Amino acid sequence: MAEVHAEMVANVWKIVVSEGDAVEEGDTLVILESMKMEIPVLAEDAGTVAQLKVAEGDVVQEGDLIAVIE
Amino acid sequence: MTVLDNRVVNDASDAEAVDPRDPRVRLGHLLDEGSIRLITPEDKSGVLAVTGRVEGVPVVAFCSDARVQGGAMGGEGCEHIVHAYDVAVRERVPVIGVWHSGGARLAEGVESLHAVGRVFAAMTKASGVVPQISVVVGPVAGGGAYGPALTDIVILADNGRIFVTGPDVVRSVTGEETDMASLGGPEPHSKRSGVVHIATKNEGEALLRARQLAVLLGHQGRMRGDIDEVDFGSLLPDNPRRAYDVHPLVNGLLDEPGVELHAKWAPNIVTTLGRLGGRTVGVIANNPLRLGGCLDSTSAEKAARFVRMCDAFGVPLVVLVDVPGYLPGVGQEHDGIVRRGAKLLHAFAEASVPRVTLMTRKAYGGAYIAMNSRSLGATRVFAWPTTVVAVMGAVAAVRILKRRELAAAPEEERSAIEARLAEEHEKVAGGLDRAVDLGVVDEVIEPAKTRGAIARVIAQATPARGAHGNIPL
Repeated sequence: MAEVHAEMVANVWKIVVSEGDAVEEGDTLVILESMKMEIPVLAEDAGTVAQLKVAEGDVVQEGDLIAVIE
Repeated sequence: MTVLDNRVVNDASDAEAVDPRDPRVRLGHLLDEGSIRLITPEDKSGVLAVTGRVEGVPVVAFCSDARVQGGAMGGEGCEHIVHAYDVAVRERVPVIGVWHSGGARLAEGVESLHAVGRVFAAMTKASGVVPQISVVVGPVAGGGAYGPALTDIVILADNGRIFVTGPDVVRSVTGEETDMASLGGPEPHSKRSGVVHIATKNEGEALLRARQLAVLLGHQGRMRGDIDEVDFGSLLPDNPRRAYDVHPLVNGLLDEPGVELHAKWAPNIVTTLGRLGGRTVGVIANNPLRLGGCLDSTSAEKAARFVRMCDAFGVPLVVLVDVPGYLPGVGQEHDGIVRRGAKLLHAFAEASVPRVTLMTRKAYGGAYIAMNSRSLGATRVFAWPTTVVAVMGAVAAVRILKRRELAAAPEEERSAIEARLAEEHEKVAGGLDRAVDLGVVDEVIEPAKTRGAIARVIAQATPARGAHGNIPL
């Protein structure tokens, strides 16, 4: 099980995957918007998206849990 | 200590039972077969020092003898290391230390402390004179930890552990429950502390990385005239706001993928040693995929140390700029982004090596200056046609400059006015053309002609190196 956390304060701009989706290492999970940049959050391991903790429009703080990959 | 023994060390495989902690075994894996000559006796000092070759490049190496008191450092062993440094400095060759040591020998008391201090002094005097590479293959504590920390590059094998005080002392003093791996293993040191430049899966890979680095720094080569071009045109995303991974650009610029230092620590900036046209160069690149490529306090410090190391050894620098600015935040300010960011300004402004800047997309604000701008003394500044140079993004700028005008406008018209003002602002204050007119960008080049353009500047520049040490910033 791998937890994916936010690296920086950002707006959640777009959700790319849904809970239950299979993902490969390097797949984009969500896209954050910060510093006028769209920054993809990637899966660090292959697996299944067990939990998705954010929704489009949310503000995440550094360290916030974004998703859990199993 | 004098040169005591010049005989060739036999291949360790003929020993009846090979102890992997035997320094001969470890040095045998590090150095070219048959190249090892002892420069200190095989004794119970806990250290063996030798000369040898790595792909033919002469080096000095020493290794803890973990079979003797866990590799603890006493007076005699420390003198062996000091002797190794004397030889390396005299011969002007890289020195590689293989570490597995519990620190100063307790039984020798202050004598061992004095001896360990002499090792630190020898390392510091050699700093910036000869490249120093450390490979930590077992637990190192106290003096055994600060030895590697004083050197230019620290490589940690999977069984390596680095700490000043071990888990037992930590528990008795602070009450924190921890173990050797979570206190000082590859995970914390490669991601959080920045103590380690490279963490490897095993000891063999750690020694292999040390060999690669010794050759890159010890035999830098000459730039070839003919450079194959790579078209980087499709590398940037169509949407200028979209982040991307800079590694394909870094590795594509090099003849073959380089050796990245501090890959997981401050990953928003990439620092890689490799070869361009056969010559060793150091590449520094913002990575938009991480933190949007912003500079922050740790990435500035990481890059500053890399710049100073390359400068000290005469390794030319290639700086790839795509930076939206410094990372804002209370945490950053309190973390010393002003003090630590200043290190990067100082490192570039001080550097004497040829250093070429290539702007690929964004070069904004204070971070534009810090990334080896013309003002800091860049040898040459290139830009791809996609580059925007500005104090800040045009929309953000007009929101400040035209605050009153925008506030007075009816709300439904505001965004249209903002867009128009931003467009006007871009014409007047920013953009690549203005940077070229001012001479802060020398030339706009096509992505498909990048490798040759950078290589030619380095080949034609006067070789130089900075006259300074490489303090572990």
